[in-house]
Amino acid sequence: MRTLSIVFDPSLIGSQTLILSILGYCIVLLTLSAMAYFMVRFHSFRDYMRTKKLKKETTQAKAAPVKVVMTGEENAAIAAALYLFFSELHDQEKYVMTIKKVSRTYSPWSSKFYNIWNNMKYW
Amino acid sequence: MKLLLINNLFQGIWADTGFSNLYWDNGIMIFVGLVLIVLSIKFNLKPILLIPLALGIVIGNIPFMHSTPYPLGIYAEGSILHYLFFGVLKGIYPALIFLGLGAMVDLSPMIANPKLIILGAAAQVGILVTFLGAIILGFPVAHSASIAIIGAADGNTAIFLTSQLAAGLGNLPEAAKVQGLIGPVAIAAYLYMALVPVIQPPIMKLLTTKKERLIRMKPQRTVSRNEKIAFPLVFLLLTTFVAPAALPLLGMFFFGNILKESGLTKQLAGTVSTVLIDIVVILIGITVGASTQADVFLKWESILIFVLGALSFMVATAGGIMFAKVMNIFLKKENQINPLIGAAGVAAVPDSARIAHEMGQKEDSTNHLISHAMAPNIAGIIGSAVTAGLFLAFIL
Repeated sequence: MRTLSIVFDPSLIGSQTLILSILGYCIVLLTLSAMAYFMVRFHSFRDYMRTKKLKKETTQAKAAPVKVVMTGEENAAIAAALYLFFSELHDQEKYVMTIKKVSRTYSPWSSKFYNIWNNMKYW
Repeated sequence: MKLLLINNLFQGIWADTGFSNLYWDNGIMIFVGLVLIVLSIKFNLKPILLIPLALGIVIGNIPFMHSTPYPLGIYAEGSILHYLFFGVLKGIYPALIFLGLGAMVDLSPMIANPKLIILGAAAQVGILVTFLGAIILGFPVAHSASIAIIGAADGNTAIFLTSQLAAGLGNLPEAAKVQGLIGPVAIAAYLYMALVPVIQPPIMKLLTTKKERLIRMKPQRTVSRNEKIAFPLVFLLLTTFVAPAALPLLGMFFFGNILKESGLTKQLAGTVSTVLIDIVVILIGITVGASTQADVFLKWESILIFVLGALSFMVATAGGIMFAKVMNIFLKKENQINPLIGAAGVAAVPDSARIAHEMGQKEDSTNHLISHAMAPNIAGIIGSAVTAGLFLAFIL
């Protein structure tokens, strides 16, 4: 060490170094932007393909409308389900938390002590 | 006569001990190592990295007689420490860490919201500014590149670039000097990685308003498995075609990611992301720490490297935040970016993303930024590796 000689000379940055530095930074920026651009374009393309497929399916569905026939039993089942669902609605919950206590019977196979002891043997 | 023999024997034993070879600079470094161990444990400062590193500093500075018939120090060819250091000198460890990292990270946040990738590039501005700053301060170009890459806050990229520059310079006297930078540069990079929770929050707070910190970002869409497999391959091709010199890092990173995302090589992905990366972190930490032998490390240059590294890291953090703010000008209200995640553009994975999330939570505990912040964070790793590759291509 043992001497301190700090230089401060902006002219040490040659024009070539400066250009290369900025160029290098731009390349990094462009590379990552290209990654982002690629993904955005890919997403757009995928969305376009999905919409196209959906449109095709809708057109086909419109061309041959399927007649939905519902029996009386089905209607009754839906009505019963809706009735049960709406009658079970709560305005406010109780916000009381309960803890269910679970007790386990002791077994050497699930014992923490034995497990730790067994692992210790391999150290 | 017998007394003389005993006296000589004791003198020989004494001369061999650390006490007789102790110099004040070794003492300082041992003290620094011990302080780092205590800080890392007490404040939970990235102990997984800092403890091996700090203990390495202590080990590397235990004084010994340099004229021993057996090689001992990390710089003595043939010593065990030197063999372990080989992985650092040849850039093997960083590549293996990138492999593990690739198998750990999920690219979904990046795929779901591609515009966040640009924040990873914006944070690289710290590297550019510091590179020029180091040249102004009289460092040669190769040294300046090694110092500037600290701004990425990724010790692995810093070690990789420095070792490759030293290797590329061949037998030139400059090569040995650049190789000597591995210790200070890696220590600075790892230290700033550990100090992310200390360095970044004040800058984030200073550069953002409360309103900006409260911005809620649109929830991310689900990414399909096909996308998770296809995009790493596209990224690999794109980035390595641009910067082939970064192939050892980027190739390994995307290889690790494919192992994970393919879903068929879970065993391999599990090994590289747990066992292998742990082993390499131990080896890299202890050897880089031990490379700070006082006679090589304790120079004014090292202090300057630390100062410039801190500057680089701070500018990188600020760069990411400012760029996010600029992007917000052009984005619709529903697509606004919380500028806090711009700070995650540095490659300190996942610490800087976690800090962005925590800062956001301090303002609004229901605002979860972590998944958004991971996108610039991963882009930061890729960006810094590309930058290292470009440095190698331009300098050598």
